[in-house]
Amino acid sequence: MTEPVITLQRFFARAREGRLTGVRCGKCGALAIPPKELCPACYERAWEPVPLAGEGTIASYTVIRVAPRAYTADVPYAVAVVKLKEGVSLLGRIVEIPLDKLAVGLPVRFRPLVKGDQTAVGFGPA
Amino acid sequence: MRRVAVIGVGVTKFGKHDRTSSELFAEAAADALADAEISASRVQALYYGNVVGSETEHQLHTGPQAASILGIPAIPTTRFETACASSHAAFRHAVMEVAAGVSDVVLVGGGERVLNVPTPESTEYFAYASDAVWEQTLGLTFPGVFALIARAHMQKYGTTEAQMAAVAVKNHKHGTLNPKAQFQKEITLEQVLKSAYVADPLKLFDCCPFTDGGAAVVLTSEEVARRSRRPVWVLASAAASDWMLLGDKRDLSRVPATERAAAAAYKQAGLTPTDVDVVELHDCFTIAEIVATEGLGLFEPGAGGLAAEKGMTSLGGAIPVNPSGGLKAKGHPIGATGAAQIAEIVTQLRGEAGPRQVDQARVGLTHTLGGNTATVLVSLFGRD
Ligand SMILES: [Zn+2]
Repeated sequence: MTEPVITLQRFFARAREGRLTGVRCGKCGALAIPPKELCPACYERAWEPVPLAGEGTIASYTVIRVAPRAYTADVPYAVAVVKLKEGVSLLGRIVEIPLDKLAVGLPVRFRPLVKGDQTAVGFGPA
Repeated sequence: MRRVAVIGVGVTKFGKHDRTSSELFAEAAADALADAEISASRVQALYYGNVVGSETEHQLHTGPQAASILGIPAIPTTRFETACASSHAAFRHAVMEVAAGVSDVVLVGGGERVLNVPTPESTEYFAYASDAVWEQTLGLTFPGVFALIARAHMQKYGTTEAQMAAVAVKNHKHGTLNPKAQFQKEITLEQVLKSAYVADPLKLFDCCPFTDGGAAVVLTSEEVARRSRRPVWVLASAAASDWMLLGDKRDLSRVPATERAAAAAYKQAGLTPTDVDVVELHDCFTIAEIVATEGLGLFEPGAGGLAAEKGMTSLGGAIPVNPSGGLKAKGHPIGATGAAQIAEIVTQLRGEAGPRQVDQARVGLTHTLGGNTATVLVSLFGRD
């Protein structure tokens, strides 16, 4: 059995410290985040972890005003698909940016969203 | 492979019911068998769609439960779950089983009950169809997913909120012609545009409602179908998937699973988009209808908003879309939606749709999308 290059647990442990980690295929060079077992470009299993800068721009965003049960106290809040400068994209919660300042193309930077034991992906001002 | 036909359809009234999802399915299934003029004793299998039964009804194992409540417990039955596309996925499985010669008569359907829980709770359960680790933890909702798609489409093609609103107005108008629809009331463009934002840029009237309901269809081999009064032939049934995470999707303004499933279905049937006369597609949100009309090849990418605004997709237009009222007005009992769309197309191709009948409908298409656009089913139907 091959040892996974990066498990979800390890990814979020690093994310909690503010470090965003992707994986790069040792065979074809494709970059992926979140980690996958096989490379979707060449189907090989030769990943190496790579640190990502955490810098990107908003590709699309929405302000959620009707929330699931656990998030009703947070409304209104924004989530955005962010295109990282390395070329991959990630969905994240927007923090510390006024909702009326949101725009497609706005530069943002990764911020871990820590709530108890749970870590999620956030993006704040660049 | 053998030819496969739909010979009977049944749909409950959509809306709020004080009955379980399996009961709702059973009513629709008994209606479908009566419509097919075939005895329940002839049914050899049941494939069933139900999505949030374990959450809203504390009920797993809904396949045999639905069969038991219908009164045919001894046959093989399986529950399918592909979020909102569940009963369409069940349908494709049944088509393959009959085409392969394994069974001659198969029942397909779905049932869903969600209006027995408050909106924040159902909003949470529907969000379970997005990724629990990467997306649910952000408070992402179903409307949120399509709001991200809407913004990307607006940015890329200049699609407007008024064009999206035109879809809602059209589907509500169609819904007034469907006695089974949850909403049978016209709405105005202004009402849609002035409704409250749910997930910007989507407003309340851009969203389909929560719905309880059931639907069923009876599928048979050609040999059995030839003895029925008005068979509708299954010309194709295709499925496709896409990345689960929104971040992995390359272009949020498109739904690649729709494009792939449509291409496979047209190829199976030997048809092109211009051959299609009537469409029931997955308008869970107004933008979803616009993007689907593009993905199905009815309009070029980016042209769907203007087409809706010009009335090209209305009854009497170039290609009528969602004559039933669609998910928007007819309602969206998620596990039953695929089967209900098929029931509408069969009704249209039989020429039995009454005031909402599409003239000269010979070829019909159904399109059902699951959750975050990661599942799409497309089927094509024709008459003799
Ligand atoms: Zn590779």
